[in-house]
Amino acid sequence: MITIHRRWARLVSYGLMVFYAAVILFPLYLMLITSLKDNRQIFTRPFAFPNPIEFGGYLRVFTVAHYGIYFKNSTVITLCALALIVFLSALASYALAKYEFRGKTAIYVYFVLGLIVPIRLGTIGILKTMIGLTLFDTIWSLVIVFVAMGIPLGVFILYDFIRMIPEELSHSARIDGCNEHMIFRRIVVPLSQPALATVAIVNFIPVWNDFWFPLILIRSNEVRPVPLATALLFGQFETNFGMVFAVLSLASLPVMTFYLLLSRYFIKGLTKGALKG
Amino acid sequence: MRKTAVLALVLLTLVAGISMAGGGREAEGTTKLVFTSWRTEDIERMNRINQVFMDENPDIVVEFQPIKDTEYDAQLKSSLETGVAADIVFLRSYDAGLQIWDTGILLPLNDVVPALADFPGSARGAWSSPEDDLYAVPFVGVTHGVYYQKAIFDKYGLEVPETWDEFISVCERLDANGETVFAQGTKEGWPLYEVIFSGLGANFYGGEQARQDLMAGAVKLTDPQFVRAFETLNELQPFFPAGYEAIDYVSMQQMFGTGQAAMFIGGSWEIGIFEDLGSGQSEIGFFPPPVENRGDRLSYCFHVDAGIGINAESENLDAAKRYIEWASSPEFAQLFMEELPGFFAYTPGSYSLSNSLANDMIAAVEGADVTVRTVWEKMSAQSPSGNTLMWEALIDMYNGIKTPAEAAAHVQRGLDTWYRP
Amino acid sequence: MLRQEGKRRWFLVWYILPALVVYTAFMLVPIINSMRLSFFSGDGLIPNEFVGFDNYIKLFAEYPFNERFWNAFFNNIKFFVMVTLYQNILGFLMAVLLTRGLRFSAFLRKLSFIPTTLSVLVVGFLFSMIFNPVWGVFDQILRVLGLESLIRPWLGDRLTALPIVSMVVSWQFFGESIIFYTAGIDAIDDEMLEAARIDGAGFFSEIWHIILPSILPVVGIVTILIFVGDFTQFDIIYAMSTSMGNPGYSTDIFGSLFYRTAFSSPERGGWGMGMGAAVATIMFVFVFVGVGLFLIFFNRRRSKLS
Repeated sequence: MITIHRRWARLVSYGLMVFYAAVILFPLYLMLITSLKDNRQIFTRPFAFPNPIEFGGYLRVFTVAHYGIYFKNSTVITLCALALIVFLSALASYALAKYEFRGKTAIYVYFVLGLIVPIRLGTIGILKTMIGLTLFDTIWSLVIVFVAMGIPLGVFILYDFIRMIPEELSHSARIDGCNEHMIFRRIVVPLSQPALATVAIVNFIPVWNDFWFPLILIRSNEVRPVPLATALLFGQFETNFGMVFAVLSLASLPVMTFYLLLSRYFIKGLTKGALKG
Repeated sequence: MRKTAVLALVLLTLVAGISMAGGGREAEGTTKLVFTSWRTEDIERMNRINQVFMDENPDIVVEFQPIKDTEYDAQLKSSLETGVAADIVFLRSYDAGLQIWDTGILLPLNDVVPALADFPGSARGAWSSPEDDLYAVPFVGVTHGVYYQKAIFDKYGLEVPETWDEFISVCERLDANGETVFAQGTKEGWPLYEVIFSGLGANFYGGEQARQDLMAGAVKLTDPQFVRAFETLNELQPFFPAGYEAIDYVSMQQMFGTGQAAMFIGGSWEIGIFEDLGSGQSEIGFFPPPVENRGDRLSYCFHVDAGIGINAESENLDAAKRYIEWASSPEFAQLFMEELPGFFAYTPGSYSLSNSLANDMIAAVEGADVTVRTVWEKMSAQSPSGNTLMWEALIDMYNGIKTPAEAAAHVQRGLDTWYRP
Repeated sequence: MLRQEGKRRWFLVWYILPALVVYTAFMLVPIINSMRLSFFSGDGLIPNEFVGFDNYIKLFAEYPFNERFWNAFFNNIKFFVMVTLYQNILGFLMAVLLTRGLRFSAFLRKLSFIPTTLSVLVVGFLFSMIFNPVWGVFDQILRVLGLESLIRPWLGDRLTALPIVSMVVSWQFFGESIIFYTAGIDAIDDEMLEAARIDGAGFFSEIWHIILPSILPVVGIVTILIFVGDFTQFDIIYAMSTSMGNPGYSTDIFGSLFYRTAFSSPERGGWGMGMGAAVATIMFVFVFVGVGLFLIFFNRRRSKLS
């Protein structure tokens, strides 16, 4: 590693780092403190730490706006979508990585192509399909779209990983009388667990945060996920800043917490492809 | 172990989410009606109104589920087409409502609600098909004018202006004293068109007659009478607050409601919001759009705002009909006008309004030339709609990019691409 | 690799098919379907009247559709250039700084990704409040710093609205650039850098001659990610300047144009699903060609440099 020796260069570097940290943290700090203030505190002391701390905004978001429903919807959608992405991608990647057959490369490329095809551009077609399947205005329409959206990245990450699993392991398992399904279940899946977790984690952000597809495919209140509800509540409470910021904080905290707990996996998963070039 | 920790976290989140979602389930044996509108800010008020109905009809639960105003029309249409719409729906007047009627999924109400026959004809016309099928209960109208902070007016001994010249001199007095004259912004186009142009402009372009002529193609927006309206309204621009180009609708309300500006050109529907912000009827007053010369007849934009219709494919048609019948009763109208002052029911009956602002608004109707928003009927049915053209033109005019004449020409040019009188 | 007997390999179908079907049916087929619908017109949710190239003719040649379309096109290019400038170039320089072994580098790397975890919508709402001219914090900071004369109606001025929106998007995705670039720089052989230093290479020549060529593929990936993201961006415009791209369509880009055209009612700028499908099809072609060009460019540069 190359280090910086000159004193002034170090000083400038640290100055830049402090500035950058402030730029990242300040808006988030503002969001969180404002959500814990009443209107009077917000106007008179916008930057100060809340005193007293007001939980009223959060309380009302749950009691008046039934935020729990939206949170539950998002949780169910995200868990189902992630489970399916991991499962389907693992199956496909196993077949593609461990067996030779005609069209194998073509299928792999076809999957990976999805990484650069923005699914939003097929929205009208998706809308048409969902209406046809009578899935319009259900959380399952979102689950399916998110699965389709997540498979390319899933296959991309898992294909490489599964390919690295030594062939000898499968070989000796075969000698022990395992068939190909058992090899998948007993050897490939347990050994791929870090990669499977990575796939789930990197898909977590786009799935949880997606606003576009709920906006197009969801109508009823009972099936709204968090981002759609955020837009609605932003309109409903817009004259009450404490509540508006409580709504914004509530939409952000779950993912932020998740990231801070698992940041190593996030970063590893995301940079994996880039490094390979 | 990290893995176990992750799993535990996931499960915890799931359980927490599900247990929190317990509320909102209806009891056995009741019918649930979903009522949708574009008024997200009214949820708590509407729930109180609906509670009265539910107390009288214990077998029905009414749930009010509004959709964001900007998304409402398109989403309602697609919801109806795909069979996932609410049972009771808010409908806008004229073409916007008519386009939804054309999907064939609204219940004709002529026979369902006999009381509709007694509603004022102009209001019925706003929610009728060309074949005279009435598809919504004409519910409420709204009006436009100028709110002012009494304390600021008193401080400088200002009188409520009647003519435009008086209005401008009030502005000048306030401005000279360093007050923020208007809580007005131009970030969004619709308040400029709906409130300033239709509301204050009608007195200058010739009121209802001019609107009819415009629809019939007898006059154009580029004719002197309309250009003059653009020019006159542009005189207000110097009195807009600093940074007005970036001030959005909510900030406007916030500014005026918290007393940071002397006046606000707004709609009657805002009484409740101002009250929430600390400007109730004792703090603020209202005056109708200033006329040109003393004694001129007021052209008053009293817009047909919302009708209530029934989704014909509703699974609870009987309950929906009962609700609609109640919604066209004087009892409901009185209740609604008290809870949401500034919305005026078309339901025949005599009402007492306890809010003085609402009373002032309704009093101005007496003897006035009543009209609706300038390019709303027929001229906003297709793209580019008169609506969006007005938004574009007025934002540009107030931001100094177009002259009043260019603004008028912009709207006319857009309409000319499709509108055939 | 194991070579299975022809008959036994048929079970592989059951492994590949589920993913293939979901991916095809809900990603590829809808895009093709959208393209097909761009030749239709109609008021309903699904257009049903065949009109040939009418939608495209309208879009390219008929006022005001052409004006809106080209406006969104050029705005989108400006948007992309600005985000590339902020996020890609500054992100790269910051990444270089964070790989110098300074204290707190690791902490800052971790921190930098937090905004990326937020929903774009939330970020948009948050910053539209920060830049609000009446009580926005940004103007208050300028006042505290004595820079009051700089205050402008940030999101209401045609000149500043799009740059501000680009900055906000960059703020959010800066962390993505940093993660990719720091990972790329970490992977560079230390000896190579050491050798360069012994040869007396300065800071900037080191960046130019060693770091940049080594991580060019990463630069390519980040650029393509920004490109695809920006040309389908919608949420930030919706949150900060409504789907009308206020003021005066100066922040209207492809994503907001597509949403407004296809999914808004005529009174609010909707042009019908058929026109919306035409906009989506053009966006698709544009993104595809763009990505193709970037791939060719970065591959060629790479072969030249290595």
